[in-house]
Amino acid sequence: MAVDLSVRLGRLALKNPIATASGTFGYGLEFVEFVPLGKLGAISVKGLSLRPCFGNPPPRICETDAGMLNAIGLQNIGVEAFLADKLPELIRLGATVIANVWGDTEDEYVAVVERIGSDRRVAAIELNVSCPNVVKGGLIFGNNPQALGALVKRVREATKLPLIVKLSPNVTDITVTAKAAVDNGADILSLINTLVGLSIDIETRQPKIGFTTGGLSGPAIRPVAVRMVWEVRKVLPKVPIFGMGGIECVEHVVEFLIAGADAVQVGTANFRDPTLSARLVEDLARWCTAHGVRRVSDLTGTLRTRPRPEHRFG
Amino acid sequence: MPVNEALRVLRTVHYDATHYSLFLQAGSIGPATKPGQFAMLQAGEGLRPYLRRAFSIADVTKVAGVPAMEFVIKAVGIGTGMLGRLAEGTPIPVLGPLGVPFPLDDVTSADRVAVVAGGIGLAPLLLLSRELSARGVSTDLFYGGRNETDILKRADFERFLGPHRCRYATDDGSLGRKGRVTDLVSQALESGVRWKRLFACGPLPMFRTLATIVQEAKLDASFALESEMACGFGVCLGCVAPTPDGRFATVCTEGPCVSPSAVDWSRV
Repeated sequence: MAVDLSVRLGRLALKNPIATASGTFGYGLEFVEFVPLGKLGAISVKGLSLRPCFGNPPPRICETDAGMLNAIGLQNIGVEAFLADKLPELIRLGATVIANVWGDTEDEYVAVVERIGSDRRVAAIELNVSCPNVVKGGLIFGNNPQALGALVKRVREATKLPLIVKLSPNVTDITVTAKAAVDNGADILSLINTLVGLSIDIETRQPKIGFTTGGLSGPAIRPVAVRMVWEVRKVLPKVPIFGMGGIECVEHVVEFLIAGADAVQVGTANFRDPTLSARLVEDLARWCTAHGVRRVSDLTGTLRTRPRPEHRFG
Repeated sequence: MPVNEALRVLRTVHYDATHYSLFLQAGSIGPATKPGQFAMLQAGEGLRPYLRRAFSIADVTKVAGVPAMEFVIKAVGIGTGMLGRLAEGTPIPVLGPLGVPFPLDDVTSADRVAVVAGGIGLAPLLLLSRELSARGVSTDLFYGGRNETDILKRADFERFLGPHRCRYATDDGSLGRKGRVTDLVSQALESGVRWKRLFACGPLPMFRTLATIVQEAKLDASFALESEMACGFGVCLGCVAPTPDGRFATVCTEGPCVSPSAVDWSRV
């Protein structure tokens, strides 16, 4: 049985639902020895800013149980260098490229999106409004539905490309920011970014990370991510979703799809096993075959919840 | 070109409660390794530890006739502890060889060089010493530790370089001179010895002192830096070192072997 792995996230058509997450896959080219880039559904590149950014002083990372904390501070080569030095080679290799972008201010976000404009070599723009590791920008937009809505509205006017907004889990109710993004022109939602965490060296009593707090990623956050995908799916059933957070194997991919994701992004696991993402594409086809699933998109949003009791028993 | 492959444990040799050598099958990584390069080793399939660990490839050798890579490891946490307890024959995922090796293209038998090791920093210097020996390069080794048990692989260094070229310093004087290894280096320079290059690996205080010494002596040098890393190939951007021009260089791809002048030691 041939399995149809293709998925459509609104105007964004992908050959399969396995993408890689921004910040965990470099500019893609670092992986050419490990992954045939054209085999992946898409790659979301390291968050691009208008000008190159040096990032935070070290230490920037520390391992945690079943995951890690990072506070890289969005170090990147800048949008100009990306378009000139990285994008042509990515296209030559057949990669489907998502440009993840960020800024310190609303104007900077708009400027970097305007620089990409409607360049058709880029399949979609992913707005990072959820980085917890910078002093300005990032979470200022990600935590505030009004600020987020205003930002998305301006960015929406700057490009005709499919617009993805990557949401922060560091909120009380993620459906509020999800609606703010969609109401102002987001085509697709990515969830989730990292959870703010703190890890302490008890001998020195110092934070293990120079920035004090960092973003938690890896398998430790997966249940939180799956829950948030499910919550957003219920409230915005027609809005396509990239689900991400701690994906390590095909069963995790399927879990996200059932919760309501149309596609997924593999993140921190790329560090542990750089060959994983391409293998997941094959594993997913095999899993679908074994489970009689003809179209992978049929899995999306198929969670069968039990009725929750209205009253306490006993 | 780095390779990701599963390599079996051939042997583990424990030197004391914390230090050991892990010998893995060489695979295709071993023959491709240049001195100073490293590999990412995964300790077990579980989620704790979650990330691979970066280790210098300390030697490319043989174990009972089988091509092998040696890693000299100090057990300091979960990952380094687990790797020391793996049974012979256990396959573990290895990614390598990675990083910029020591600059050796211009080093010939006509040259004299220095190799400076501090503690577990001996690891990349063992394969370097084997290579320098094979090229017939006159090499002075200076190796320091807290005490005699910190000084590892002494027989190998002395076999490669000659016992009379190997000098030691320990904090407690249990081996060699009592004091710091950098004092031995300064002393040699003061006595008029000149090296084409100084190669070093060790803890941060040793690097700081050596950076000053080589700068004052206008001596060419290459330091193998150490850092925690999540990926090992330039993607996580977690392992950076500050540079004099104000940016951050990835230790994994711009290093680990760098000129000390490429690092802003005041910001490390």
